[in-house]
Amino acid sequence: MFLIFPIGYSVWLSFHEWNGYTPSWGPFIGLANYTALFGDDVFWKATVNSLVFIAVRTPLEVGLGFVLALLLNRRLPARSLLRTLFFVPVVMSLIVVTIIFQRIYELNTGLLNTLLREIGLGALAHPWLGDAATALPAVIAVSVWKNVGFSLVILLAGLQSLPRDVVEAGRVDGANVWQLTTRVITPLMRPILLLAGLLSVISGLKVFDLIFIMTRGGPTYSTEVLGTMLYRQAFELNEMGTASAIAVILLLLVLGTARLQTLLFRERGDAAAG
Amino acid sequence: MIAASPMAAGRAARASWKLGAGSLVALAVLLAALFVSIAPGLYMLSMSFMDNPQLFAGRVVAWPLHPDNYPRAWVASNIGGLYWNSIVVSTVSMIVTLGLSALAGYGLGRIRFAGRGAIYTLVLLGLTIPLQIALIPLFINLRSLGLLNTRLALIGPYTGFGLAFGTYIMKGFFEGLPRELEEAARLDGASEFGIFSRVMLPLTRPALATVAIFLFLQNWNEFLFALTFITEGRMRTLPTGIYALLSSEFYGNYPILAASLVLFSVPVLVLYFLFQQQFIEGLTAGALKQ
Repeated sequence: MFLIFPIGYSVWLSFHEWNGYTPSWGPFIGLANYTALFGDDVFWKATVNSLVFIAVRTPLEVGLGFVLALLLNRRLPARSLLRTLFFVPVVMSLIVVTIIFQRIYELNTGLLNTLLREIGLGALAHPWLGDAATALPAVIAVSVWKNVGFSLVILLAGLQSLPRDVVEAGRVDGANVWQLTTRVITPLMRPILLLAGLLSVISGLKVFDLIFIMTRGGPTYSTEVLGTMLYRQAFELNEMGTASAIAVILLLLVLGTARLQTLLFRERGDAAAG
Repeated sequence: MIAASPMAAGRAARASWKLGAGSLVALAVLLAALFVSIAPGLYMLSMSFMDNPQLFAGRVVAWPLHPDNYPRAWVASNIGGLYWNSIVVSTVSMIVTLGLSALAGYGLGRIRFAGRGAIYTLVLLGLTIPLQIALIPLFINLRSLGLLNTRLALIGPYTGFGLAFGTYIMKGFFEGLPRELEEAARLDGASEFGIFSRVMLPLTRPALATVAIFLFLQNWNEFLFALTFITEGRMRTLPTGIYALLSSEFYGNYPILAASLVLFSVPVLVLYFLFQQQFIEGLTAGALKQ
């Protein structure tokens, strides 16, 4: 009920023209909202940005998370305290994170530029979020910073559930830590790495708060993604039909990714059975 | 296994000695990464004790301290009111979701009925779909019901969207409980609801804790719905209330902003540190079981 209704309603609205003010939706216009979107440069910019956002963020997040998880998987003092602390950015609210990083990226007295000047790289100092060339990387960096802990925790749980005897056998066979990691542990971890990656892709597709608060999609659409474009279309430009069309496209992308996940897992199941 | 244990122990001892240097390196790398991961939070804390001259001088450590940012932030952002709204909205939705997902999880996990698979597929779907798909339909419905700018505008959607996660975790937990318990209770003449409420439910306390803490934090931090459905200052929750500060006279007044952010984050962090075991286990169980 909570699911089917909004999905159906959004699909319905995406075939209509509506400014949101009149009590009921406007005339049926078929696929016109979609064709208008496909002819809209901003839509393509937002789509490409969403894809870049994911393509850069997910490998970094899962890669760094995996390295940290491997390190944390050793017998170390205060291991569970470390895990707890690494997860803190994940529970922090995005409004908190974005305001801190806005301050860090600020032009004149921000922490990053101050640091750069300190170490003699003052030439690099510039408004990280205000420059169309660096805004998207700057936003991605924040996103990676916030979410590494999530990948780390999932991957660490995966590492701890690996069959101990296989790893032990590798060690007995004389494999060093590097060989053990690349030849034994990583292949065993493949499904969990994939899972962490897909979870990250899905949450990357949905991204809204982070970008909306930090840059509102600017400057000049350099950080516009599907999530922020949808919001602007609906509540700033009052194009409910167009916004619904974006919502439907977003839903299809997310479901497509989730579907990919089940397919990949089924393939693994078959391989294990055969 | 037991027979091999002396050998294994010897190996483990040698291994741990061999890891000595490696562990130090690992620890060093981890601590460096940890610094990166918590430094921004510490910077926020430090900023909240600065005055503007310190801030604009690019200082990292606040000295002398200006604790008066806190009372000023409290008044400036009407944080008391925001706190109250956030507490009411997050708690009420969490409790309603908890009750409904315990029932739904019990039904899906322990009772065989037609269409169970289809319903469970819908639950899994609910875990994945983006909130955005419901944004406009909910906005329109809430507006036509005259519920925009009321607490219900958030409690309803938060409850609905929390259900998928709650049901998912509860179902998994109920399924894992031994069947003998249920049969024994049935022999003793307990009704289905009696079995649920007096035998099964008390056993699911860890799962209930996981769901409760997860939902509470999620509701506490939620931004998109809060931004769209609440446009009047009076009913705002903390995230959007603080967001509104950004476009107020306090724009750029980072010490005051930082103090508000600290006040906002304290309950989250306290809850997280108290319940981190349940929280992390709930998340990883959810992710790894698929």
